[in-house]
Amino acid sequence: MTAPIPEAALEPIPEPIATGGSRASRATWRAFRKQPLGLLSLAILGILILISIAAPLLAPYPASYGTDVLKPPGGGYPLGTDALGRDLWGEIVWGTQQSVLVAVAASAIAIAFGTLVAVLGAYIPKLDAVIGVVVDLTLSLPVLPLMILVAALVGPSTSTIILVVAAFSWPEVTRIVRSQALAVVKLPYIDAARLMTRNHLWIIGRHVVPAVAPVIVVSVVVTASRAVLSAAGLAFLGLGDPTTWSWGRILYEAQASGAMVSAWWLTLFPSLAILALVLSATLLSIAYNDARNPRNHDR
Amino acid sequence: MSIALFVLRRLGRGVFTIWFAVTVTFLLLRLLPGDPALAVASPNMTEETRAALLTQYGLDQPLIIQYFIYLGRLVTGDLGTSFTQSIPVVDVLLQRLPWTLVLTASALVLTVLLGIPLGVLAASRRGKAMDRFVQILGVTGQSLFVPSVGIALLLLFGLWLRWLPIGGAYDDAVYGVAWYGSVLQHLLLPALSLTLIQLGSYVLTVRATLIDALGDDYVTLAKANGLSPRRILWKHALRNALLPATTLIGLQLGFLVGGAVLTETVFAYPGIGRGIYEAVTQLDFPVLQGAFLLLAVTVVVANMLTDIVYGFLDPRVKTA
Repeated sequence: MTAPIPEAALEPIPEPIATGGSRASRATWRAFRKQPLGLLSLAILGILILISIAAPLLAPYPASYGTDVLKPPGGGYPLGTDALGRDLWGEIVWGTQQSVLVAVAASAIAIAFGTLVAVLGAYIPKLDAVIGVVVDLTLSLPVLPLMILVAALVGPSTSTIILVVAAFSWPEVTRIVRSQALAVVKLPYIDAARLMTRNHLWIIGRHVVPAVAPVIVVSVVVTASRAVLSAAGLAFLGLGDPTTWSWGRILYEAQASGAMVSAWWLTLFPSLAILALVLSATLLSIAYNDARNPRNHDR
Repeated sequence: MSIALFVLRRLGRGVFTIWFAVTVTFLLLRLLPGDPALAVASPNMTEETRAALLTQYGLDQPLIIQYFIYLGRLVTGDLGTSFTQSIPVVDVLLQRLPWTLVLTASALVLTVLLGIPLGVLAASRRGKAMDRFVQILGVTGQSLFVPSVGIALLLLFGLWLRWLPIGGAYDDAVYGVAWYGSVLQHLLLPALSLTLIQLGSYVLTVRATLIDALGDDYVTLAKANGLSPRRILWKHALRNALLPATTLIGLQLGFLVGGAVLTETVFAYPGIGRGIYEAVTQLDFPVLQGAFLLLAVTVVVANMLTDIVYGFLDPRVKTA
């Protein structure tokens, strides 16, 4: 599902920052370190990534049926068991791995493609007119029903979900990066670069992309968190990979089996996991945006 | 720009957007891995029925001819036949559409009714505790997963407190005025879930644009003229700040519809979204395809109408 881009992520950058440079990024990091919420979100994201890597060490893969059906948290099961007697803690741990994988892969594809399209468009005005229209049109459509149609036709699997989410996330990336790139290509130093070389790819790679890099960083975080919501939404409708655990699948099974109404833990814990990931990603992008603003740097 | 030209351009853009949605759908169905025939003919049909349907929908023709057959069928309102219910998809969906419209419209109204006061509250106390609080609520609201919110409300108000029904859209056993009452009762929780996920970004936008407007010269002038801060805030700054906030609502209609699909699934609300959920479990592709197209058309028309109405209210829209 396409959640709206947090308003903070869209706040105009004071001026197109021509060169990042290591001094500027050090100043950003110094300003970032002073934000407790930013650090906390970074820590939470770090823990979630650790859980996803260490999943096999934390819990056995919950595949077989158990006899302890719908046990509340406590006893041998820290988070309780589901309607088929499987350990919820294991499902959440392995679901973390799936969510992080989908978020990283889908947003990587969407960012790479979206940035490429945005930068090429900014550089080639004729192309930009077309790109602008396609992006506007795509963003105005109800994307979730379209994702559902495609996912159902192709058949649910992890790679389908990654590709479907990426395919409908790049326009948002393009929209954000494009507005910045359009400002950058008008700057004198790009004209100067054009005088020095006819190698447009070199200009784009060496000068345009670095100048829009801060916007890209923000959209990586935002796109990844939206990818988690979209993937969870698809899984909640029964379009998740049936062979892999995901947070959305836990909710889907709780709803489909009717256990949702009696076993609060089956919906509470996956919901908290989704909230933790998405909220910390959002807060991280806000903190990064604040820290990047030179007005918040102490000289 | 004259108002007639403005309305015409908006209509033109609406038609163009719908054409775009239809073409994207056509290309996805034909070019994706998977059998394009699935969009009209179920694999469970007999070989003859299937072949007849494929000929009827022109799926044995070259791609470009298929495209025009597809467009022609859509223009006449033919979205194919549902696999499971064996009735035209249009009939399946049109009887569900009003529920989705009621749900999304009430969520929008609630969002605006709650969002404007909250945004004003935050902007007028900028930097104070109340502002921080509203901002934190806003950011958290944006990070919520729709089904999680729905399930939480359902468990709390439906199952534990037993104040409200937990599913469906109305009570079968009542008639007349009581029926409308039961519709409202069933609507409250789904509409509230949808409002909660929408409210965050709306409040933050109202807040940000209002803070911008409060820094404008005309506000300084109004202050110098001795107008009360209250009057400046509500009558002058807010009116100018509402345009971006309204534009945002238009931009997010697509997202809202996605939220409605998930909310209806949680509450077994008989709208198009619940229809999509049921069609997914039964792999009823014509319904899935029709649902997307119908929702796309709904969003485009709603956007067009808001734009046109707003064009009459605010002269800046026409020149933009």
